[in-house]
Amino acid sequence: MSEKNYAHPEALVSTEWVAAHLADPHLRIVESNEDILLYDTGHIQGSVHIDWRSDLQDQTIRDYINPQQFAALCERNGISNDTTVIFYGDKSNWWACYALWVFRLFGHTKVKIMDGGREKWVAEQRHLTRAVPHFVHGHYTAPETRSDSEIRAFYDQALAQSRAGMALIDVRSPAEFRGEVTHMPEYPQEGVLRGGHIPGAASVPWKMAVKDDSTFKDISELRQIYEDEAGLKPGQDVVAYCRIGERSSHTWFVLTYLLGYKNVRNYDGSWTEWGNRVGAPIERS
Amino acid sequence: MYPEKLNQIIELFESLPDAEKRELLISYASAAMKQGPRDGDTFDLEDERKDEECTDTVGVFLQVSPQRACAFRIKLGPQVQTLTKAMTAILCKGLEGLTPEQIMEVPADFVPKIVGADLVRQRSQTVYYILTRMKGIARVWLNRERSAAPHRA
Repeated sequence: MSEKNYAHPEALVSTEWVAAHLADPHLRIVESNEDILLYDTGHIQGSVHIDWRSDLQDQTIRDYINPQQFAALCERNGISNDTTVIFYGDKSNWWACYALWVFRLFGHTKVKIMDGGREKWVAEQRHLTRAVPHFVHGHYTAPETRSDSEIRAFYDQALAQSRAGMALIDVRSPAEFRGEVTHMPEYPQEGVLRGGHIPGAASVPWKMAVKDDSTFKDISELRQIYEDEAGLKPGQDVVAYCRIGERSSHTWFVLTYLLGYKNVRNYDGSWTEWGNRVGAPIERS
Repeated sequence: MYPEKLNQIIELFESLPDAEKRELLISYASAAMKQGPRDGDTFDLEDERKDEECTDTVGVFLQVSPQRACAFRIKLGPQVQTLTKAMTAILCKGLEGLTPEQIMEVPADFVPKIVGADLVRQRSQTVYYILTRMKGIARVWLNRERSAAPHRA
């Protein structure tokens, strides 16, 4: 990935690279999808399945699992603290980026994305298997706390960002941003009472960052999109949001790893919180 | 309570542990593309559209015999999710031969028995969508039949 001049090219691996490292004992390949049964229909040899909802989220409170639950999840998937985890999935790696972001919440920094995701692997007619791997349990020392403050934004912080006129990136579709619809086109409605966007947010749909084959665009194209057109500046504090935090995880990955921004937070409450919250200010344009 | 063919499928799923339920769902999903319209098929009603509740276009095609037996064909877009594909094959088989009125009376509470309560909770819109579309086209067929019937004084 060095030829694309990303700030952190080590955060991306190609499908070729993954195919050549399937037997590497220091790696664990994780598939994370929108389609909950897609892994079961066939997956990269040796990969494990982590579901964004049933594995990473608390099943009662709208929040993530706690550090002990995270450690247990890692251990049963053969992941130890020093394991490098390679994420891939459907939807141009939405959920792979989301899972990577959650791993970062727990301080797991040895993380990478397979550029192009499942779509590219399948398009290249690479081997898929239905065999579910079994690993010796990993040894994972749970972090004392989840690092929410570094890469995660909550409602109050997003509101403060808006009131201060600081950078907010709305990565939803233009129609969602304008308040014409409350869900992305060609996608299920997930219950939002009001349409629009956070006042002051710039619209940069997540899809701007990827090419038709689901791989990320090169650095010059990304700079043009996020800096020349959306007005972001390196070193700025940026909050990204979408509907439930998955598309904004994708943009968080782009800004953090590919463009090298150091202070990017994902507001995972996103529009399903903001658009339903009593008294939250909304802008439509 | 459930139509006979559908009930056989439900009982099969209920007899399986979760892992084998998933395997059977995958097996049904892989058969979903065979449920599409075939060359030479004719239909009484065709309804092909993209809805909010599904990730791609779904076409539902209904033929009702003179004995009022329904036969469904369903065409799925490439982005349709695996659960939706599985429900397509299950419902085409399970509801085959029912009358439009019987289709309308099929309760939706069998879905958790097939896919499991966890999958329903996690992906609820996906699992009910095809049944809703099949009932929708059956309702249209019944409405047209009523409209075409001679009025009685």
